[in-house]
Amino acid sequence: MLFFSYFKDLVGQEVTVELKNDLAIRGTLHSVDQYLNIKLENTRVVDQDKFPHMLSVRNCFIRGSVVRYVQLPPDGVDVDLLHDAARREARGA
Amino acid sequence: MVVGLREFAHRTGNGSGTPVLDESNGEELMRVQPSVAVALGNRSLESPGTLYITSRKLIWLSDVDMAKGYAVDFLSISLHAVSRDPEAYSSPCIYTQIEVEDDEDEEDESDTQSTGALDLSKIREMRLVPSDSTHLDTLFDVFCECAELNPEPIERKDTTLLLSFNAIFLLHSRFIVSFSSSEEEEGEHNWVFSADQMVVGGGGNASFYTLRPILRFDYHHG
Repeated sequence: MLFFSYFKDLVGQEVTVELKNDLAIRGTLHSVDQYLNIKLENTRVVDQDKFPHMLSVRNCFIRGSVVRYVQLPPDGVDVDLLHDAARREARGA
Repeated sequence: MVVGLREFAHRTGNGSGTPVLDESNGEELMRVQPSVAVALGNRSLESPGTLYITSRKLIWLSDVDMAKGYAVDFLSISLHAVSRDPEAYSSPCIYTQIEVEDDEDEEDESDTQSTGALDLSKIREMRLVPSDSTHLDTLFDVFCECAELNPEPIERKDTTLLLSFNAIFLLHSRFIVSFSSSEEEEGEHNWVFSADQMVVGGGGNASFYTLRPILRFDYHHG
């Protein structure tokens, strides 16, 4: 449940979610669940060429299984902490 | 499980009633929303109709044409959102993106130019426009609930859902984390990398470091 816990701590931060279909959506992380489904607020499409009509939607729910990347603010990441947590989880879980 | 949008015309009664559900497999009706119009892809709005939200899928049935209806499993709905931006679409609506069978990248939906048969399985976007837009937020919430009821199915031989991730460091010092269901990437394992294991790969414009894996992280769902 590592990323679930991790993302819960990032609620309120600006993230960009890149989907497997190449669409990238930027917004404020509103919530995340155990399947890593993501809800964003104040979303806007990063590259409007592929899905021009999506433009800005207020709230958006993204299925966890279609996410390719989540881009985090650089200062929102403690790499060492994440690293340690990953090690612990792999060892213990 | 059917990927993507499809026709749906199984109604109860003498074909004029509510949709037939897969009750033996636990499918339940979660919400019925009358007076909802639907727009598939770039096509114009179709109405009048009724939206049925079940625990497995969305069904839209025409109120006037008993043979016309569409259904899509929540498993195929990549994202949904409330759209109120008039520049994006003329009416406030629920905007959904639908996953399609991965074929070739299609530029347009197959229907836009021709008058031939519409291939529903290629539809990537669907908008649902209730006549009363005050219902939008409730509909959005019900969609969220139902999406949560439909996580990726566990199909692997060893019956564990491997959710693995990999971390990639970019030159621009933004930390990017990617996670994916490994069902999508058969045979590919996603590894955790450590900063002290990084080796610069490629030439001057390389944005990626070649990373040596130090541990594999899988975690088991359920």
